[in-house]
Amino acid sequence: MLPWNYGFEWNTAHVTFLGAFYAVLAIVATTVVRTLLRTRRDLRTHRAESIRWQSDFHDLPPADRVCRHVLTGEIQRRECPNAFDCRACETHARLIAQHPVAVEPQAEDETLGMPFPLDRYYHRGHAWVHPEPDGSLTIGLDELGWRLAGAPDAIGLPKPGAAIHVNGPAFHLHRGRADVRVLSPVDGEVIGTGSREQGWLLRVKPAATGERAFRHLLRGAEIRPWLVREMERLQLVLTPAGAAPTLADGGVPMPDITAGYADTDWDDVCGEMFLCP
Amino acid sequence: MDKEFIARGVERCGAGRFLLWILPWTAMLFFGLYAAGLCLVKGLNQTNMDNRFAFGLWIFLDLTVIAFGAGAFFTGFLLYILKVHELRAVINSAVVIGLVCYSGAVAVLMVDVGQPLRAWFTFWYPNVHSMLTEVTFCITCYLTVLAIEYLPIVLKNRKLREIPRFLVFEHELHKLIYVLAGVGTFLSFFHQGSLGGLYGVLRGRPFAFREGLFIWPSTFFLFILSAAAVGPSFILLTTWLVEKLSQKRLVRRNVFQILARVSGLLLAVYTLAKSIDTLVWINRTSPESGFPAAEYYSWKPFGTWILIAEIVVFGLIPALILLTPRLRARTAWLVPAAAMACAGVALNRFVMTVQTLALPTLSFDPFLSYFPSWQEIGTFLAVVAYGVLVYSFSFRYFKLFPEERELRIEARQAELESELVER
Repeated sequence: MLPWNYGFEWNTAHVTFLGAFYAVLAIVATTVVRTLLRTRRDLRTHRAESIRWQSDFHDLPPADRVCRHVLTGEIQRRECPNAFDCRACETHARLIAQHPVAVEPQAEDETLGMPFPLDRYYHRGHAWVHPEPDGSLTIGLDELGWRLAGAPDAIGLPKPGAAIHVNGPAFHLHRGRADVRVLSPVDGEVIGTGSREQGWLLRVKPAATGERAFRHLLRGAEIRPWLVREMERLQLVLTPAGAAPTLADGGVPMPDITAGYADTDWDDVCGEMFLCP
Repeated sequence: MDKEFIARGVERCGAGRFLLWILPWTAMLFFGLYAAGLCLVKGLNQTNMDNRFAFGLWIFLDLTVIAFGAGAFFTGFLLYILKVHELRAVINSAVVIGLVCYSGAVAVLMVDVGQPLRAWFTFWYPNVHSMLTEVTFCITCYLTVLAIEYLPIVLKNRKLREIPRFLVFEHELHKLIYVLAGVGTFLSFFHQGSLGGLYGVLRGRPFAFREGLFIWPSTFFLFILSAAAVGPSFILLTTWLVEKLSQKRLVRRNVFQILARVSGLLLAVYTLAKSIDTLVWINRTSPESGFPAAEYYSWKPFGTWILIAEIVVFGLIPALILLTPRLRARTAWLVPAAAMACAGVALNRFVMTVQTLALPTLSFDPFLSYFPSWQEIGTFLAVVAYGVLVYSFSFRYFKLFPEERELRIEARQAELESELVER
């Protein structure tokens, strides 16, 4: 409907109606165009993976988003506001300054019957990172992660030269038609790939060094309470719908946990445990 | 078979069972499309409408589903503008319901108006004196807004979001969704009103004619109020129904309580406004037109019972139930009350459409009766089937209820804790 069409008059009612109508059209069009422009900007600045994690984190249940200091009992209740990136978190910096994490580098911690060496840092998505003497970092999957993954059909590793980012995908586990990504614990450039037998999956040239580069990762005395919480989460995920959860009073997780549960879906369990909603 | 398209952590029935569910609805849709095709190809002689009874089942359906679809704009308004964050749990479902209702209404209007190839005439050569012009413009714009609001829900599908462009577009669009919610509220406000105003300005139909404020008859405001009141009730009702059919807990109980409270409050205001409007109409507007109001109710089956049913049984009573915390806390009261509220607004739209046209206005006019033809019923059923199918697919493949996964885990945790206590 335009002013030169049949029936139009330059009076208040017609001008108001047309004004409102075109204003609405303009607002809707501007919103869509602005979204497209922002999308283009994000894609050009390679923010897609960061956005993916932000979106994934937002979709996690609040119980899975709790602050690491809740796990250790230092705080009663707190949801992580930084999507598990504690590097810029003031609360974390303050608490760490007050109560430094106890670390015994040589100790081999057998937490809940699984080896969790204390010479490395752990990501809450079950990847670990180990500083090597040559300044590079090796990245692997922790023991619970392997027991969850069981025998994957394939492990999708990035090629040497690829960049990985904290909370972006580090590598993928494939089993059947399912595909679960494991989050990267550090920023860096992949310089080599390993295998399960070698004990590590990626060798990375770190983008940053020093304590701050690992501040968001779990270590030392933080590992046990985190694992206890992870086992609780696992127990809930493994319980078939409609059945009461079974309390395990002892024993250790099997090498291929999901294979022991007939009604359990590997994709669902790994998606939950690897923070991949 | 289609598991990789279904969100992680939620349970959906097997593909075979889902196919069995959609099969009858698909058959119904095709039957309806055939009926609608007949109307489009052969014309409105396929219907039982005529020059006197120009509005029938389709217009009743349009008005009703547009009122029910108001849940989308009103929930969006409450969530994004008034920041009632609890309603995030049902906003996606509300958008799908809104989209289904509005697209269904536009599709039926297209069959009713006919000549689909000339659909653009309504925008290029509008009747500037008609309330329907505003309705057409607003509904088209709002349907566009709803389609854009539906996009992030679709793009959040597990498989689609693997494509970085879709993921980023969804993320960025979601950040601006409050703009669309505001625009949707503005558009809905006016077209709901104009649909009511359409009847209020019918001077030749004293049963519908109303006085009002400036250029707007009272029906303009009553339609807005009733749509805003019934929208949350319809969301409540559909959510409860989906919970029952899927045998899953989808939202927290407090969400039902908020929807019920909002719906009850608005329904109470609407019932009061409608009562005052009816009293003014009975005592002044109608007699001044030369028709004592009692005359309208002397034609069977439209006795005074219909007025009492509309205002008291399906207006006041559900409003009181929804406003009483003790009653609305119990599903046995809550759900029937929401259903009654929806039925009340549907009855109002039926009365405004069918009773208005059935009543004689001239001394030589007969009382007309109308029953829709099978082609009209078929087209009606097509919209219902289309709605069920779109909702079913959306429920299966998209995250309509973001708290579903969390509630599932919480339920297991509660079971675990109770087992611990027992030990």
